[in-house]
Amino acid sequence: MSEVANTPRGRGILLCIQCGRCSSGCPVARLTGEHNPRRLMEMIILGFKKDVLSAQLPWYCLSCFTCLDRCPQGGDVGEVMFALRNIAVRQGNVPAGVSGQAKALYETARVINPVRSALDKRETMGLVKITTDGLEEVQKILKITGMEKIVKSI
Amino acid sequence: MKYAFFLGCLIPARELSYEVSVRKVLPELGIELVDMKGANCCAPFSIQSIDHASWLTLAARDLCIAEEMGLDVMTLCNDCYESLLMVNTILKRDKQTRDKVNETLSQVGKEYKGKIGVKNLVDVLYGDLGVKKVKDAIKEPFNGLRVGAQPGCHLTKPKRIHFELLRGFNDLDALVQATGAESVPYERKEMCCGGPLRDINDDLARKVSRQKLKALKDADVQAVTTVCPFCFLQLDLGQLEIKRHFNEDYNLPVIHFIELLRMGMGMKLEDWEIKAHRIPITGVLKDRL
Repeated sequence: MSEVANTPRGRGILLCIQCGRCSSGCPVARLTGEHNPRRLMEMIILGFKKDVLSAQLPWYCLSCFTCLDRCPQGGDVGEVMFALRNIAVRQGNVPAGVSGQAKALYETARVINPVRSALDKRETMGLVKITTDGLEEVQKILKITGMEKIVKSI
Repeated sequence: MKYAFFLGCLIPARELSYEVSVRKVLPELGIELVDMKGANCCAPFSIQSIDHASWLTLAARDLCIAEEMGLDVMTLCNDCYESLLMVNTILKRDKQTRDKVNETLSQVGKEYKGKIGVKNLVDVLYGDLGVKKVKDAIKEPFNGLRVGAQPGCHLTKPKRIHFELLRGFNDLDALVQATGAESVPYERKEMCCGGPLRDINDDLARKVSRQKLKALKDADVQAVTTVCPFCFLQLDLGQLEIKRHFNEDYNLPVIHFIELLRMGMGMKLEDWEIKAHRIPITGVLKDRL
């Protein structure tokens, strides 16, 4: 638990009283028994590190922040998910959709890039050009923060 | 009124029609948009999931560009909005984090000062321009068209941030009503469109959208209107995917709010813009196209 609590977005775990208001409002928990934010908080509190970080568990959350509004403790369950994911990624647990966006960001400063036909259409319509002007600075930032290394490893 | 225009990634890549309508309509309402040169991706949830410091610094870099322009940022996407707004809020409040982010930014010749605000299209139209002016601009009101408004999650959540900004939670409804259409209440209005799980867990993403679409259908709406490119994609293209996987046909036309406003102001959509909707809008809006 301390590993999560010591990250900037993970502090909320210390406030969890296991009331379950997060789970009862969660649009994903309504659809699948696999995802239950209250139970996930409990697993973190009890130190089930391996189980929590394995497979899908950190990646069911929509980040819709419904639970942030519902938590009576201001415990920010949806925020704790990011702390959890940051740890999971460093252990190599990252879905292809996420690593793909991270790679695109590192290579182009954008997570989604226009296809050729969209670029052509922009040009014929006289719309502002999509450039990679900021790329050099972005790559420098990612090098300093250490994300460059992560991107290259996933 | 003048804003630093943050275009984001998804809109220029896949929803050109959204951008074009914004560039056509806002100047008509006296709102000037200045493109942000050299802006990077806002660092949405996918990037935040990977590294916290990178999120703060990348979003702060965009905020610096707007600061240099001396303008508040306007975004068209709830993801961009949330990312930039949250980072702006954190950095304004927390000196320690700000110093750390500025230490990195100094390596690329930038400094975050915390001098500007972050707004979205609804903030600009409802808060800054005002519903009255929007209403005055409507030349061809949609008489009683039943519209289900989808504000999207991060226009209103988490509420504590938006409370501080003194924002209402029914702003989009008021704007929809201003066009003469009826903003129909429906169940699960605040529920997510499912978009954030796209490409991570497509099956679940579809099931979330399906709940939303069912609720909209139950409320007997004629069309859905969105203010976020992810909501649009998920609810529009999503209907085709749901048809394929669940064999359910909702047939609900989805329209960017700005397009609704544009048609209300008497400006016609072009052929390619009409075709950019995967669920045809020609039935419901036949007298406008």
